[in-house]
Amino acid sequence: MTGKPLITVRDLSVHFSIGGALLGQKNIVRAVNKVSLDITAGTFFGLVGESGSGKTTLGRALLKAVPISEGHVEYSDNGVHYDLNAMSARDLKEYRKRCQLIFQDPYAALSPRMTVRDIIAEPLEVMKLTNSREETDERVRAIATKCRLNLEHLRRYPHAFSGGQRQRISIARALVCNPRFLVADECVAALDVSIQADILNLLKSFQEEMGLTFLFISHDLSVVAHTCDRVAVMYLGQLVEVAETEKLFFSTRHPYTKALLSAIPLLDPDAKHKTIKLEGEIPSPTNPPSGCKFHTRCAFARDKCRAKEPALVVKGENHFVACHFADELMDENGQAGSA
Amino acid sequence: MSRPLISVQNLTVRFRTDEGLVTAVDGASFELRDGEILGLVGESGSGKSVTAKSLMQLNAGNTSYGPESRIILRDDETGGEIDVLSLKKARDMKVIRGGSISMIFQEPMASFAPAITIGDQMVEQLLLHTSMTKRQASEFSIEMLQRVGISDASQRFAQYAFELSGGMRQRAMIAMALSTRPKLLIADEPTTALDVTIQAQVIDLMKDLVAEFGMAILFITHDLGVIAQTADRVAVMYLGEIVETGPVRQVIRAPAHPYTKGLLHALPRLDDLDATLTPVAGDIPSPLERPSGCVFHTRCPEIIAGRCEANLPEIASLGAGHDVACFAVSSPEETTA
Repeated sequence: MTGKPLITVRDLSVHFSIGGALLGQKNIVRAVNKVSLDITAGTFFGLVGESGSGKTTLGRALLKAVPISEGHVEYSDNGVHYDLNAMSARDLKEYRKRCQLIFQDPYAALSPRMTVRDIIAEPLEVMKLTNSREETDERVRAIATKCRLNLEHLRRYPHAFSGGQRQRISIARALVCNPRFLVADECVAALDVSIQADILNLLKSFQEEMGLTFLFISHDLSVVAHTCDRVAVMYLGQLVEVAETEKLFFSTRHPYTKALLSAIPLLDPDAKHKTIKLEGEIPSPTNPPSGCKFHTRCAFARDKCRAKEPALVVKGENHFVACHFADELMDENGQAGSA
Repeated sequence: MSRPLISVQNLTVRFRTDEGLVTAVDGASFELRDGEILGLVGESGSGKSVTAKSLMQLNAGNTSYGPESRIILRDDETGGEIDVLSLKKARDMKVIRGGSISMIFQEPMASFAPAITIGDQMVEQLLLHTSMTKRQASEFSIEMLQRVGISDASQRFAQYAFELSGGMRQRAMIAMALSTRPKLLIADEPTTALDVTIQAQVIDLMKDLVAEFGMAILFITHDLGVIAQTADRVAVMYLGEIVETGPVRQVIRAPAHPYTKGLLHALPRLDDLDATLTPVAGDIPSPLERPSGCVFHTRCPEIIAGRCEANLPEIASLGAGHDVACFAVSSPEETTA
């Protein structure tokens, strides 16, 4: 990938403290731990992982919606530059015009007491982006048309709409202030396959027509495979593998990514499915394992994995893997494409 | 061929609501045999869960069943059969609920009582439905927990639902549902709330249990991939009607109904990353405004003008148990190619 990064993340950590100081013990949840990545302008960047892996927290940290504990997040677009660590309240307001979030559940994300027009217009009014009501209405109508909403529906309330239509309203609201960067957090997880295909096509068309950049968070690997240009796999707050989509799915390096891919139920009933069984479940982030975080469930774990944490290093063109034995595992599996 | 375990004939379910009579299921018929896994797929609102709940009469009080609807359960004890819909009193339904049929739900956290231990809930139903003593019931429950792959079963037995992880809770739910030795297990989206790695574990477990206990499973899901990996036969529902049913290989490799084809084209596939996803055109109609004729004609790409809007397609057999209700594929010659 040769394009310029829109978002640059370096050693980002987000820690939450839980439990009372009253009991004299304080637990720290390392939701995101020393993550570094670049999101190239105009691309769809996928982020996958099991629940509890820190995907959502990472997405929110990029919007400065959760406090950043350590590390840097920078945004740069055609001379406009923001450093999320050193940002005034005024800068943050400007930043929010450029970066927006699309939520998972279109039933919870829309206020039942506002009309569709008011819902879509709200960001414009709050950020004072328009000068008159006419101008606001015009922009609302323009974006509603782009999101294939019926203009006659603007006067109705959200309860009158199906899940797919609501998600389009939610997308229209995120896009109305002409942002450059969108975080789509599981935005198709609650939808049926047919509607899911419709929404994915819509988002892809915005990427192509308006040059938008997306961070696409999902637990569904087949959806990510179809939409994203580059994919990062997250486990217990850390990135374990980052690569172009084709590479990630067909020359997989990390044992966790392999296990995830092999667990996808394939449509072919006779597919020789070598499911790599993952024992147990994702450990608690309050008490993560020593060394490589994945060693408790990894079939290839050795002493070194328990003792030393692997760094995310380059293995092949633009392909990053955090595994001590990535080279050996590659050899054992030949093409390694278990999907 | 032996008698089917359960036979659903012409099931029609309507709900009386303030907006009028809503038809949730319209003339659905299917059969399930011992040891068979039948997958029931469809979009939300297609009537999958209502169909399943009808088998145990678990639908709400405003439900009315069609006069021609029959659900016939084979009764192995008397050699006769039970007409499920004719049972009116809760006491009579013991032969089904906790007897021949058990059900597991999507969200196991909502299905367990939060303030009673897992063990007490398992023991309670065994005391109600079997002649076990309390001690036998406890021992048997722990054995069942071990059987579904829960480690430290006796410790888990004494814990509450919130102390267990999502995958563990679903395993405990399955253990509880199977401990009364049902002949039919209804699984309503049992893996939807789980991560793929845990989903794979639960699917393997359910297949093992069918092999061991020999019960039949009605597996409800919206995920065709899950169906392909678990079910023997599949029934596709759209707006309360079963539009296509057949052996899972047949339906997925050679779908006959335009709706089934549409669902498969909308699904992202890993073997072809560059394929464009094609959504089924239009939106699913409101159940209050069910289309006339074939219910799918408003969105169908293969519509035959003048025919599909007016008439209801009959269910036609394509051979080998593959049935479809569509005018565009009525003659078997066209599809054998």
